[in-house]
Amino acid sequence: MRVIFLLSLFLALTAGCSEAPTEESVLRQDYASLEQAARGTEVRWHMWGGSAQINQWVDTYVAGEMKRLYDINVVRVPMDAPVFVNKLLTEKAANKNTGTMDLLWINGENFKNSMQAGVLFGPFTDRLPNFTAWYDPQKSAHDFGYPVNGFEAPYGRAQFVFEYDTERTPTPPATMAKFADWIRANTGRFTYPQPPDFTGSAFLRQVFYATTGGHEQYLNGFNPELYAKNAPQTFTWLNDLKPYLWQEGRTYPKDAAALDTLFARGEIDMGMSYHPAHAQMKILEKTYPDTVRTFVLAEGAIFNTHFTAIPFNAPNKAGAMVLANFLMSPEAQLSKFKPENWGDLPALEIAKLDEEKRQAFDAVDLGAATLGADALSAAAVPEIASEYLELLERDWDTIILGH
Amino acid sequence: MRHAPTIIVLALLFLLPVVVLILQAGAPGWRFPELWPELTFDGLRFLAARPGPFLTALASSLGYSLATVAVTLAMTILPAQVLAFQTFPGKNLLEGLLLLPALVPAMTFSMGLHFIFLKIGLADTTPGVILVLSMISYPYMLRALTTGYTLMGREYAVCARNLGASKRRVFLEVELPQLLPAMAAGASVVFLVAFSEYFLVFLIGGGSVASFTGYLFPLITSSNRGLGALITLIFLAVPIVLFIVLELGLYRFHRKRWMR
Amino acid sequence: MKRGIIHGLLPLLLPYCALFCTGLALTLAQSLGLFLPLGSGEAGIEHYQTLVQDQGIRQSLGLSLSVAFFSAAGSVLGGTVLALALWRMPPGLRRVGVVSKVGLILPHVAVAFLVLLLLSRTGLVSSVLFQTGIISSPEEFPNLLHTGSGLGMILAFLLKGVPFALLLIGAVLFGFDIRLIQTARMLGAGSVRTFWSVTLPRLLPAMHSAFIILFLYAFGSFDIPFVLGESHPGMLSIRVFDIFFQRDLSQRPQAMAILTLMFVFAAVFAMLYNRFAAYLDGWRRKL
Repeated sequence: MRVIFLLSLFLALTAGCSEAPTEESVLRQDYASLEQAARGTEVRWHMWGGSAQINQWVDTYVAGEMKRLYDINVVRVPMDAPVFVNKLLTEKAANKNTGTMDLLWINGENFKNSMQAGVLFGPFTDRLPNFTAWYDPQKSAHDFGYPVNGFEAPYGRAQFVFEYDTERTPTPPATMAKFADWIRANTGRFTYPQPPDFTGSAFLRQVFYATTGGHEQYLNGFNPELYAKNAPQTFTWLNDLKPYLWQEGRTYPKDAAALDTLFARGEIDMGMSYHPAHAQMKILEKTYPDTVRTFVLAEGAIFNTHFTAIPFNAPNKAGAMVLANFLMSPEAQLSKFKPENWGDLPALEIAKLDEEKRQAFDAVDLGAATLGADALSAAAVPEIASEYLELLERDWDTIILGH
Repeated sequence: MRHAPTIIVLALLFLLPVVVLILQAGAPGWRFPELWPELTFDGLRFLAARPGPFLTALASSLGYSLATVAVTLAMTILPAQVLAFQTFPGKNLLEGLLLLPALVPAMTFSMGLHFIFLKIGLADTTPGVILVLSMISYPYMLRALTTGYTLMGREYAVCARNLGASKRRVFLEVELPQLLPAMAAGASVVFLVAFSEYFLVFLIGGGSVASFTGYLFPLITSSNRGLGALITLIFLAVPIVLFIVLELGLYRFHRKRWMR
Repeated sequence: MKRGIIHGLLPLLLPYCALFCTGLALTLAQSLGLFLPLGSGEAGIEHYQTLVQDQGIRQSLGLSLSVAFFSAAGSVLGGTVLALALWRMPPGLRRVGVVSKVGLILPHVAVAFLVLLLLSRTGLVSSVLFQTGIISSPEEFPNLLHTGSGLGMILAFLLKGVPFALLLIGAVLFGFDIRLIQTARMLGAGSVRTFWSVTLPRLLPAMHSAFIILFLYAFGSFDIPFVLGESHPGMLSIRVFDIFFQRDLSQRPQAMAILTLMFVFAAVFAMLYNRFAAYLDGWRRKL
């Protein structure tokens, strides 16, 4: 009896000594010891799983390199951003301090909602060597107008493009007004994913910029009066075109993947994507015919940066930081840039790289269907405060869909 | 011949889809209006190159589905006996209430349950998933076993007890063998329900519990139909293989007993 | 004796109360504003009031009910017809009925996938019609999947429901005592009369069981509506999923309120259906 009592006392006393490093201790450690501590551990990375190509790149290249370089086992978990943000909010409310997600692929309003609810860990990006070496802090200081403050690490860049098949549409429209004419002339051959899908929402914003006189007026944070004044023009434009859309605008494909399928199968004549090399990827996958090309409108093409972030209750913060650092490395960014892997634009500053690496980036051929870097940067317009986004989505639901 | 229409209907409804799946699996780029697509085998090659996640998902689904069968069996074997042989006031009402979890939309209680699981640490775990799946599938096992007991009757057990057998022996050697067909029927349905379930595994498992349906779902809505069709065919094959194994097992078991 | 009963039922009653009943209770509580993740203190039925007034929710309810009704009724009819057809076959030939198990084994998402493959405007049936010259472009193919009536979902539910009904009804039919039919015929009844007065009454319990199960399943199903559902109106289950996962937490009570109402409807329907079936039977006897 006494032995048992003493044993339990001993166990109780020593239990406290082996707890996982606290948040502060993880942030205080230097990166080299973090790498060491993370060896042999598992990192669960929750990200959107709707692209088989991206999934494969993560499962083969990223997981392979992380295992080889750092002996870390990366497990990719397909989960949409709104779903994992919701999960974090619920977990925080239930005081679940050890969760199951280590790293998240996130940006925009999902990042803002997470920050406002206090469910992210950080600031951590300044602890990562690749960030200080290759990245411009200014460029990734804001995400949809919301300050990042080191709570998410840049991962890649994206820009919104439209896709068309040169066989069916020899000359795509050049401006939003000509686009409306094209839609009217080709009744039933155009549609867009139903907001709040990411791509559908971006299309809404493109229309918003084009029909209300450009994006500059929105760059100073959220202005409700400005929105109330300008938004009706956007919705009138969309409403007027409704009867000429696919299915007379009564129903919309539920997400970008569904839109891709309609376009691939020839039920509609235009696709769209927030990923410039998406069309080329689909051609290589043999889902799109190889006559597909991309274009942007004169009013500009929205671009943004996407990031990785760490939840407050991540069980393996050290491992997550190592993964986030690896993803920012020139090698990973180059691999990601190749269209046979993904074709996502690099987030690092190519000018900061040495000659040899710079040439490697320049040599990447994004394929015939992707617009050149010059064309893309010439048309680039930034994202605005995510409050506009949420209002546009909500009003779209009520005005266009009648919910 | 006069049975032709029936056979044609059956073939169109159930064989044609399988054929279509096989063709689509081999031809991701199958487009209107091709009737016979150009067969590449990209889907197969993709899978053969990266079997890891697919096999993990399959193994996990098999694991929790079989565990659900075991749990539902344990939950319902005694109650089935009670319901088959006893009467008591309110029995009809109780039977109706016990069938409810299979009838009402699973969402209604699982979303509330999820929050509770979160608080007690069962969320994002396989045991949590097994518990939830057991809740929606036990009524099928209960019905099967109750019918099995009713058909079996009490005479055998009474006889054996009179001859001096212990309760345990009666159960193992007299009742169980006669219940096997009912158990197999119940187990088949429970397995199928658990194996095909997507939403509950997604809700309670929270991404931490791999599932075959979770692997298949994003592929269905994507434009990569070849891979979706291929995984669907595997989905079809797994229960068929298991049922064949089960039937063979039962057959051999019964043969052995006759031989004794 | 009584203790033996309770003892026997315990392995089931314990999890039933701990999991099913508490899950339901929490859904109800959260719909009233209690025990919420964000802990907003006010309890009240305001969310139910908002729901009742929401026209979109009423349309979604209507869609869920109609899809459930047509798919369940269609499945039961189809299953009965197939069962009768198989019954008339010689036993050897009857084995071809086993292919219908394909419908049972395929998961719901796969069935939805099949409907997409076969019946979309650029699907297989459309290709066949094109090749045989009946239509000359995809637009001429009827717009089956996007009519707003949920036809795509109904067809997918049918593909799963017909084999299920076939299984249930076939079990009764194939164990049928053929002498009953022979007696009726000997007494001079025509084949229709025989069916109506001899065969059908014995099939009805199985038909009713199948109907209830299939109706309630389609009403609350998630998988098929997620793949084949349309934007407006959406099925109730998808609305709930939307509010639960895609909107902020303050809207959670609304999702829970919809779920509570769905539960009440399902439970009441299941209990009342038996009375309704008995009423139908009395009406049938009078004919």
